[in-house]
Amino acid sequence: MKKILPILLACVALSAYGEEARLDKSPIPTDNASIQRGAEEVITVCSGCHGLKYIKYRNLLSLGFAKDKVDGWRGSNSMNASLPPQMPGNIAKASFGVEPPDLSLMAAAREGGGHYIYTYLTGYHMEDGKLTNSVFPVTRMPDILGLSGTTDPQKRAAIEKTAKDVTAFLVWAADPHAQERRHMGYYVLAFVFVMTILLRLWKKQIWRDIDSLPKIE
Amino acid sequence: MIKKTISWIDERFPLTAFVKHELTGYPTPRNLSYWWNFGFLAGFVLVLQIATGIFLAMHYKADSGLAFDSIQHIMRDVNYGWLLRYLHSTGSSAFFVVIYVHMARTLYYGSYRKPRELLWWTGQLLLLLLMAISFMGYLLPWGQMSYWGAEVITNLFRATPFIGDKVVIWLRGDFSVGDATLTRFFALHFLFPFIILGAVVIHLVALHTVRSSNPSGINLADKDNIPFHPYFTIKDMYGLGVYLIIFFAFVFFFPHFFIEPNNNIPANPMQTPPHIEPEWYFLPFYAILRSVPDLVGGVVAMGLSVMIFAAMPYMDRSNIPGGAHYRPWYRVMFYVFIIDIFVLGYVGSQPVSPDMIILGRAASLVYFGTFLVLPFMSKKEEQWMRARGLPPALKALFEPRAPREHETQGGNSK
Repeated sequence: MKKILPILLACVALSAYGEEARLDKSPIPTDNASIQRGAEEVITVCSGCHGLKYIKYRNLLSLGFAKDKVDGWRGSNSMNASLPPQMPGNIAKASFGVEPPDLSLMAAAREGGGHYIYTYLTGYHMEDGKLTNSVFPVTRMPDILGLSGTTDPQKRAAIEKTAKDVTAFLVWAADPHAQERRHMGYYVLAFVFVMTILLRLWKKQIWRDIDSLPKIE
Repeated sequence: MIKKTISWIDERFPLTAFVKHELTGYPTPRNLSYWWNFGFLAGFVLVLQIATGIFLAMHYKADSGLAFDSIQHIMRDVNYGWLLRYLHSTGSSAFFVVIYVHMARTLYYGSYRKPRELLWWTGQLLLLLLMAISFMGYLLPWGQMSYWGAEVITNLFRATPFIGDKVVIWLRGDFSVGDATLTRFFALHFLFPFIILGAVVIHLVALHTVRSSNPSGINLADKDNIPFHPYFTIKDMYGLGVYLIIFFAFVFFFPHFFIEPNNNIPANPMQTPPHIEPEWYFLPFYAILRSVPDLVGGVVAMGLSVMIFAAMPYMDRSNIPGGAHYRPWYRVMFYVFIIDIFVLGYVGSQPVSPDMIILGRAASLVYFGTFLVLPFMSKKEEQWMRARGLPPALKALFEPRAPREHETQGGNSK
């Protein structure tokens, strides 16, 4: 048992880190300001090609955007419409070779979640004079944030910050109730914890006669 | 008023007698450990799965064009839909954790032995039903892993002699997994829990006929049996509290732990994921399936690996009472078997590679080897133990059994 367990654990650890080792695991912000900045970036830049099928304009209102701003974005679209890609899928396919994927669930559909997205967005670099990406080398998406061509550390830091914001928004978009869920979770766990302590005391109380009897294995 | 109502009912229905027989007067060994909590927990999980499942079904659309979207509708727009779904998806994994611990306890303490064979076999039936339900339920989100998992598993029925191809089409309702498969899996996923509920009643009737086993493996004297209520109702409630702390920690803080990222991509029959992997609770059996190079052989081995538990009452030929606690050889086998299952689970989660094939085959051999060796080992172990003299702790247990006649009169005999 003592010999096998470390081996087993090592196997599990290796399988867990094998693919994710190259992902940047720095924390993704969850504050509303970052998510809003990320939303703005996604709507003004990314949605040129990518839609967000499961995010509706009204969801942006609940994110805290002013109604005027959302109205400006949606134009003649209904409040209940999904965020569409500006460029129709078939045209994008003609120019890039693939239809740009929908981004609503991107943070849930990749191993590593938000860390994958952030590492991907900041993973563009030049290799032998060709643009490539460290986590997804065959990507067809151009380096929209422009990190690969930037050497000024300050500008690079600004781009990385934008990537963080975009990631924060996409993580939110994949699971919009996550904040509410965690918030509720603290109360639920606190309640169950106290309840369990009380049940433990009650159990001891009921069992005190039995517990004083000699033990049977 | 209450008394009057109860006596009115009792004249027409044996309410008081039932409560007395099954709860307030139901004799339960006082030395049960917390490992005996898991039967009750399984019942709780079943009820929670049915409750959340019914509400999910109100918002779910069993249509290959709508299913994936309807899950997102539940997650985003339905009030507390995310909670219902995470309770249900985490609950299915929790169900298997609880059932596997419940089975491991039975194996460790030899609870399957005479006279509890039927109890064990109804449990085996429940396990098969649970596996069927979870497999069909996993198709419903209509993600990539849902689709390809169902495609791979239904394809295994090709191993049926002579009519294999027809059986596969009959199961799917189409040449490949599609809308017809989805709608029938949904209908059956809704129906089967109620069949499980019926099978649980049979399991409980069998339990209340032979009564709970206990760590000593000996039917205790009357004085060492205590009423189920209040002693075990409160013990089960306390156990439930501990269970809920762990369960809710996953539901509220790590709900994605049990959801494969690939399943957040809609099912696409044109694109096979690079690595198809069943849910964790099927991994050991999946590893056994892959360890046999031949399809038919693999399916037979996998089926056998699940069904072989039913033979335990006959394969364990030892007359030494008590579980692994008193049986050093059996204890070693038990732990080897448990570790082997973890190894198989690991192999099942890995892509096929030469090393994994060797490890998987070795672990499969150990898996079946333990069962194969058991009949001889258990007999030899008994001879060895008798020659050495039974351990004092076990001997002491026989002492209070001296007044045997009294015991049989007390109705505590098996």
